[in-house]
Amino acid sequence: MPAFIDARTVPAGSTIQTDLAIVGGGPAGISLALALRDSGLRMVLLESGGLRFDAATQSLYAGRETGVPYIPLVATRLRYFGGCSNHWGGWCRPLDPVDFEARPWFAHSGWPFARREIEPWFAPAQALVEAGPLIYDDAEKWSRALGPPIRLGSGGLYTTYFQFSKQRDSVLPTHFGERYAGDLKRIAALTTLLHANVTGLKLAGNASTLDRLEVATLSGNRFRVKPKLAVLATGGIETPRLLLASNDVMTTGVGNAHDLVGRFFADHPIPGQTATLVLFDGRIAPYYQLIQSANGTNFRAAFAPGDSFRRARGVPGSLATVEGEVQLDATGQAALAETAGALGIDAASMRAFTLGCGMELEPDPERRLTLTSERDALGMPRLKLDMRISDDDFAHYRNTLKELGRQLLAAGTGMIRLLHSTRAEWLSAIDWGNHHMGTARMHDDPRQGVVDANSKVHGVTNLYVAGSAVFPTYGASNPTLNLLALVLRLADHLKGRFR
Amino acid sequence: MSAAARASIARRPLLKGLLAAAGVAAAAIAAVEGPRLFAPRYAPSPFDDVLAQLPDRENAIRLGAAFLTSVKHFDAAATAGLLRARLRGHSLAATMNDDLLEARLSEARGWVLPESLALLCALAARAG
Repeated sequence: MPAFIDARTVPAGSTIQTDLAIVGGGPAGISLALALRDSGLRMVLLESGGLRFDAATQSLYAGRETGVPYIPLVATRLRYFGGCSNHWGGWCRPLDPVDFEARPWFAHSGWPFARREIEPWFAPAQALVEAGPLIYDDAEKWSRALGPPIRLGSGGLYTTYFQFSKQRDSVLPTHFGERYAGDLKRIAALTTLLHANVTGLKLAGNASTLDRLEVATLSGNRFRVKPKLAVLATGGIETPRLLLASNDVMTTGVGNAHDLVGRFFADHPIPGQTATLVLFDGRIAPYYQLIQSANGTNFRAAFAPGDSFRRARGVPGSLATVEGEVQLDATGQAALAETAGALGIDAASMRAFTLGCGMELEPDPERRLTLTSERDALGMPRLKLDMRISDDDFAHYRNTLKELGRQLLAAGTGMIRLLHSTRAEWLSAIDWGNHHMGTARMHDDPRQGVVDANSKVHGVTNLYVAGSAVFPTYGASNPTLNLLALVLRLADHLKGRFR
Repeated sequence: MSAAARASIARRPLLKGLLAAAGVAAAAIAAVEGPRLFAPRYAPSPFDDVLAQLPDRENAIRLGAAFLTSVKHFDAAATAGLLRARLRGHSLAATMNDDLLEARLSEARGWVLPESLALLCALAARAG
């Protein structure tokens, strides 16, 4: 049997038996298959799309959005082999330790484990995204050769470092489908089905075991996959859709006994031009504004609130990047002259820049995906997203930037102007990271989470979720590196289950 | 050449010298007094003692006006009293650093400022 099969050629009505079914051929599904290549497991990887973008397949993603403006559901992800890695920016950074903690001031927070639990898998995840050696904040040691970091007074924020995925022999980040297709084809025990849409998770009569997957193609072919165990690696939007739509045995859907599936949806707001950063002496190391290459990796600096500041001040994660240079208006010139003058600082060489940002949202059960009565071409119910963002989310980030302004002044380095105050101002600048998280959240308690600490769906013995859908809180770091660490941890767990 | 003509010629260098001296004196006066003479004049205010700490009154007025747009109630006298207490025995720079250490911050149209500077600028805006 060839490793890649067009599902339109699978005999209609047939049943494919396998040890493990992986639903979704994005970074999570591909990485899981790669991690299990030597496990001896017979695996089937089901990908809805083909090897290239196809409008008809992509339209299966269409849905409705209400509330705060959000990217159309049909456009915020890609439905072909490689998934969202086909349009990602390659930004990588591990979540911070505080991101995993239960914080009384941060509702619904707390992973079932501390960051150290997934740390062993950061290095192999880093290898998958081809971001070079795992360095991150250690980058400061050698970035100094390019210029010193921006000096900040003691306080809440510090200079942190992103590393960037870069596909071998390409200027682009790693596109998992293109990059790893050859490796997947060499796994003898893996069958990859393209154009294979899983339209239903069929539970056994006891409702506690997954019996089979119903598969359909846009050409009208239908067949089944009967695995011993299945992993949904379909992203933070499609995963709840599949769980909720599979409601023939459990009427509320699979894993949804406590009405959690689809709730707590999150993305990273990335409002543009959140602040103006003024540096009195105009000096800025190049790694703040542009990706730099050194020591076998690509990196760029940003400002982040430290864990102790976040705990003490009760603020979520955020990251601020230095963007383009700007001119000051009359008020800005007055602010600069008066402040620098009063501090006795020569600001004749000043330069000003805009700050971009990535923010963490507080978990909100009402920010959710639900099924509608509309159907797609395969008969699957389409989704509606109720998108919300609270005033507190904006206020927390604003307070973090204000602290950065305080630290810059305290160091005599510069100052900051905060550009947004009202909700309308924030929303006018809003954009999103296309990081879909939280809709099958992880918690040991089935009343608070869809999956347990091993990413297994509560109440179903042989169904798992891989990817950022399981994040109970989101941090400000881009999710791919972190979700891959979780996927690799899951792979080791699955090896243990089959042993 | 008549005697009158000779006297006239002798006076020319003297007049030239006097005019040059007057020119130099005028230039010197302009250099010394010019900035004061042509600088904006501000009406005396009860806050001039603290306003004297500002590096540039015009910039302070502009910044203070921006600060006051987001302040509902501004008590100039109380503010002046607060600033006098903070500035007693301290420079404005030292007072600003104290503000930063204690996270006393204010905003003027989004510009994050040490509170004492923002209040001083607001006083300048009120004083005109």
